[in-house]
Amino acid sequence: MKFTAGSLESSDCLITIAPSEDLVINIESVVFEQFGDDILRVISETLKLHKITKLNVLCQDKGALDYTIKSRLETAIKRMGEQS
Amino acid sequence: MSRSYLFIPGNTPNMVQNLDIFESDAVIIDFEDSVMSYDKDAARILIQNFLQKFPLQEGTIYIRINDVENSHFEADILATRDLKIAGYVLPKASVEAIDKLNQLSSGLSIIPIIESPIALLESKQIATSKNVIGLLFGAEDYTKEMGIERTLEAKELLYPRSHIAVVCRAYNIEAIDTPYTAKDDDAGLQQDAMNAKALGFTAKALIHPNQVDTINRIFAPSPEEILQAKRILKKSEELQKGAFSLDGKMIDLPIIEKAKKVLEKAQKYGL
Repeated sequence: MKFTAGSLESSDCLITIAPSEDLVINIESVVFEQFGDDILRVISETLKLHKITKLNVLCQDKGALDYTIKSRLETAIKRMGEQS
Repeated sequence: MSRSYLFIPGNTPNMVQNLDIFESDAVIIDFEDSVMSYDKDAARILIQNFLQKFPLQEGTIYIRINDVENSHFEADILATRDLKIAGYVLPKASVEAIDKLNQLSSGLSIIPIIESPIALLESKQIATSKNVIGLLFGAEDYTKEMGIERTLEAKELLYPRSHIAVVCRAYNIEAIDTPYTAKDDDAGLQQDAMNAKALGFTAKALIHPNQVDTINRIFAPSPEEILQAKRILKKSEELQKGAFSLDGKMIDLPIIEKAKKVLEKAQKYGL
C-alpha cells in the first residue's frame, strides 16, 4: 500500500512511500543537479529522526525548500502509521 | 494594532514561505476553508516546520483554525499552541467556542469571526470574552445565513458592520472588516475599505497580496490627519487648557485624545 503527501505545484513536492524490506530513496527533481544531495540529506535525516530504516520513498520535487520536503515526508509517515 | 490581515492558505508552500514579503501588518494562516479535509494534517505539519525554521516577527502571525464543531478543532490548537504565533482566528464564533479554545490554548490572543445572525446578537459577550483582542466580520457566511445576496454596493452589510464597529469601540478592541472578494477591482476595494473605516473599523482582512497596499494606506492616518493632530497637541500643550479654539473649531478632551491616537498610529507605521 502506498501513502502520499504534498503536490506537484511549484515550491512543493509529492512524497510517495511504501513499506519495503530495504531503504530505497528515489528523487525526481527539476533542480536535481544543484540540490539532489540536499534533498537526499533532508529525507535521510527525517527518516532517522523517526527511527525508520526500511522504507521505499519517492520524492517528486518541484523546487521545495527543506522544511517542505521534511513536512511532506512526515505527513506521509503519519498517514502510513494511522493505517497500520 | 494592525491595518491589514492577509489570509494565506495553510497548505501552500509558495505562499507560506513568502508571507513576510507581502507587507501585510498581520497574516492569518488558514487551516479552514482553503485546506481540503484530507489535507488538514499536511497543513498542520507544514506550518509547524515552517514556523520552527523561520520564526517571524512577534505578534504578526495568526492561525485560522477549524470551528469548534469540526473534528480538526482540537488538533489544530494542539499542533500550534507552542509555536511563535500571536493567536487564533476562530470561525463560527460563540462564547462557548471561545471558552473551549481558551482551555486548550495557553493564553494566546483570539479574534472571533462574527459570521452568523446569532453571533452578531451575541457579539457583546463574545467581545468581552477572555483573550479576545478584536472581532472580524465574515460577510460571506453572514449573508448566506441571512439568505440574502452580498452585493458590491454592500447596503445589506450596513447594519452588521455598524453593530460590530460599535461593539469593538465600546470595548476597545480591534474592529476588522470582512475581505473584499473581487480581488482585481481596486476601485471597489478602496470604496469598500473607506466605507468600513467611516463606520469605525480599524482594519480589514484581505484575500490577495495585491490588496495590501490599498488597505494599509486607507487604514493609516492621512498626512492631513497627522498634521492636524500635531497642531492640536502643540496648541494643547501651549495653552494647558481642557478646551480651546483652533481654526474656529472647539477642541476639547475627546478631540485631543483622538489626536494622540492618530500620532500613535502614525508612529507605529513610520509615517
